[in-house]
Amino acid sequence: MKLLKTSRKVHKWLMLFIGIQFVIWSVSGAYMVIFDIDYIHGDSLVVQHRDIIDDKQINFPLKQVLARYPQAESLSLGSFVKQPVYRFSHDGQQYMVSAVNGDLLSPITESQAKAAARYYYSGSGIITAAQLISAHPPSELSGRHLPVYRVNFDDFASPSLYISALSGKVVTKRHEFWRGFDLMFILHVMDYQDGDPDNKLLLVSSLLALFAAMAGLVLVYFKVFRKKVPGADGNSQNPVATQGQLNRESV
Amino acid sequence: MQYLKALHKWTSVVVGIQLLLWLISGFYFVIMDHQDARGSVYRVRPPVQQIDHQRLLEPGLILSRQQASVGLQQITLLGIPYYLLTHEQGLYRHFTNSYSLVNAYNGELTRINEAMASSLARSSYNGPGTVVSALRLAPPVADLPKEQNSVWQVNFDDDINTSVYLDAGSGHVIGHSNDDKRFADFFFMLHFMDYGSVKGFNNIQIIFFAVVTLFLSLTGFIWTINLIANGRYALPFVGGNKAIELIDKNDLSIGVRRISSRQTLLDGLIEHDIALPSSCGGGGTCGRCKIVTDPIVAVGAADKHYFTDHELALGYRLACQHKGAEVKRLKLLDVVNARKHQLILVGSEFISPSIKELRFKPADGSKLDYRAGAYMRFFIPAAKGCSVPLRLPEAFQPHWHHIEQLEYQHLACSRSYSLANYGGRQELVFTIKYQSAPNNRVLPGAGSSYLCNLEPGKTIEAAGPFEDFYALPGASVTAGAEQQQKKTRVMIGAGAGMAPLKALIYEQLEKLNNKEALYFYFGAGTEQDLIYYREFTELQQQYPQFHYLPTLSRASDSWPGARGYVQQGLKDKLTNMDCLENVEFYLCGPTNMMSETIAMLRACGVEAENIAFDDFSR
Repeated sequence: MKLLKTSRKVHKWLMLFIGIQFVIWSVSGAYMVIFDIDYIHGDSLVVQHRDIIDDKQINFPLKQVLARYPQAESLSLGSFVKQPVYRFSHDGQQYMVSAVNGDLLSPITESQAKAAARYYYSGSGIITAAQLISAHPPSELSGRHLPVYRVNFDDFASPSLYISALSGKVVTKRHEFWRGFDLMFILHVMDYQDGDPDNKLLLVSSLLALFAAMAGLVLVYFKVFRKKVPGADGNSQNPVATQGQLNRESV
Repeated sequence: MQYLKALHKWTSVVVGIQLLLWLISGFYFVIMDHQDARGSVYRVRPPVQQIDHQRLLEPGLILSRQQASVGLQQITLLGIPYYLLTHEQGLYRHFTNSYSLVNAYNGELTRINEAMASSLARSSYNGPGTVVSALRLAPPVADLPKEQNSVWQVNFDDDINTSVYLDAGSGHVIGHSNDDKRFADFFFMLHFMDYGSVKGFNNIQIIFFAVVTLFLSLTGFIWTINLIANGRYALPFVGGNKAIELIDKNDLSIGVRRISSRQTLLDGLIEHDIALPSSCGGGGTCGRCKIVTDPIVAVGAADKHYFTDHELALGYRLACQHKGAEVKRLKLLDVVNARKHQLILVGSEFISPSIKELRFKPADGSKLDYRAGAYMRFFIPAAKGCSVPLRLPEAFQPHWHHIEQLEYQHLACSRSYSLANYGGRQELVFTIKYQSAPNNRVLPGAGSSYLCNLEPGKTIEAAGPFEDFYALPGASVTAGAEQQQKKTRVMIGAGAGMAPLKALIYEQLEKLNNKEALYFYFGAGTEQDLIYYREFTELQQQYPQFHYLPTLSRASDSWPGARGYVQQGLKDKLTNMDCLENVEFYLCGPTNMMSETIAMLRACGVEAENIAFDDFSR
């Protein structure tokens, strides 16, 4: 009996403080599980073109790249909007050089970034804005990708593609549902201090929540699985159904 | 609101266990070591090897010799430079990709075999273990649920069973896994309900549970808001008093009274000398302390039991189930003459091994008038109780030998006891059974042990008298005078159910001088338990219309009277009685005796309105 009373008190009082967090957890959790993570990650925003590198187009051999950039590292040969390009880093700086004529393509211009975004974008919306971000990236973009062009499309859920100014590749993409997901994730893990791994707030909250929920489960046990709960005063006599009447003064 | 509460209850039944799993696994994510959970405890970057740019073959040449590629990357594996050709490229590394690996110095196509996979794994590993096996696995791989490519799994014999995974096509180290990571993954599996074929947290079962949980938390949230709005979050020792407007049953305002927010209305009203009837002392089990208040006041389980839905909608509630904080105004249903009195104990003696007769006088010297059968509510303070009565007469001691002596602490409470004499007298007499505990799990009766061990001369507070069990006047006022008092009355009592019947009998005979037949059936165990035997025997000689019929169930051989249970003797009598409609029955005793007797009377054709009973178990 004491357990039931205590549980009711614990559940009621703890939920006064932690209940709102339960709402936040369940709303954010529901959001995250209902929206397909691949959709959230904008996989449907980009086209994975299969641009085969035509070796006949490669008129600027690797020898010349290395002659011009003797310290080149992490070499690769790929495409930038169908044209074959060398990509490498040199003195900690990334470069993109045309494999057709050896022109230095990096950093790309805004119109090149727009063309690239247009080419990799799967939707049909028009480009509303393109801006070069060289410092202070928005929270949805990691600083290691800088400098980067952000290209916005006028489409459902306001998609943006982030095109690296140095490699010409799509480094990441975003749309409102992903931004929503990011917010929901922050709310879900109570990460209000920007990635602080030692999250005392979450620790305390989840501990309190655990006690509150356990008390709730005790209530469920008593109220659902143990039908007969004795009266609050511990007097387990069930009231006798009154068949006789209580006498009243006749008027 | 009750639908909301029901929804809260049933959604919690559905998701309760899962909610606990979410909280436990969530809590684990907070306290776990994130380094360990990543499985990277023995992972290092392979050493960077210088390569000879002069010896590199032209990429164009390589591309012309191999199948069509979308990309070529110069990488170094185990100090040897390679060109990694990508033929099919997935959006992400773990999506399906197809690669070729070509030696960048001599153009030879290379495949990653067991030995190379082991060496690559070793170059990314700095733990104490050695390679025990290397397996090429096709997806799905248990440690890498999202991986869609074939992988090499290289196992080390260290303390945490490290497995190093490499992409079978490119030789790229995908990652390390070990027991720490698998332990964390187990919790992720629980948290994501990731039991099916759909990997990750977008599976149908978690979506279902998430939606149900949404209802659970939102209903709980609204419930909490409602509790706050109703002032149900009154901190102990905080909150103060609340002004409550009282209205009488004719809807006229009596005025405003201040009642503590934390007290029940029943206890708060008594402070203002308004004593509502209550025989259970505020447990919500007697259903007598009825009031009317605003219908928005939450309905408790006890309210539900005692009122119809229609009454609840009108605002009928039990005063003991609601605190001052909850209501703004309330309507009293009865004109209650009952007040709070200070009573002085003037006599206390055993009349059977377990029953005491207690005699009180009002401290102010007044006389209380009431109809026989009334009861009073005693306010028992918090005190030390004792399982065995103090000052026990020697003759009754054997009866208590088997009871273990124990002392216990009880809280303040209130208990109701019937008066054993009729009103207007100097003294208030009670016959109270010293309630021993039926087993070790419950404590003896707090009220009866306090009162029975009270020393004469001490005072106690009591509210009352409350009249809801009394003799019906002989007939209604509209009937003719010759009809008056023409009813035979049968009193049936047993055990400790003596007090109200004794009061009724004396009221009829002494006070009202009623000449109609009056029968008194009283059942007890042994001669010792037969309280007031002498008094009733004398009364029988004094008043010819009075018939005293004691019955003993465990009588000694010398007992001349009836044996067995009181209801049996009564049954024999009933079969010889005619015109039962002119007989009234008054019952008081243990619940079983009463319900059996009522059932029997009804079976014999007695109308319900001719049966009155005082159920002291309520």
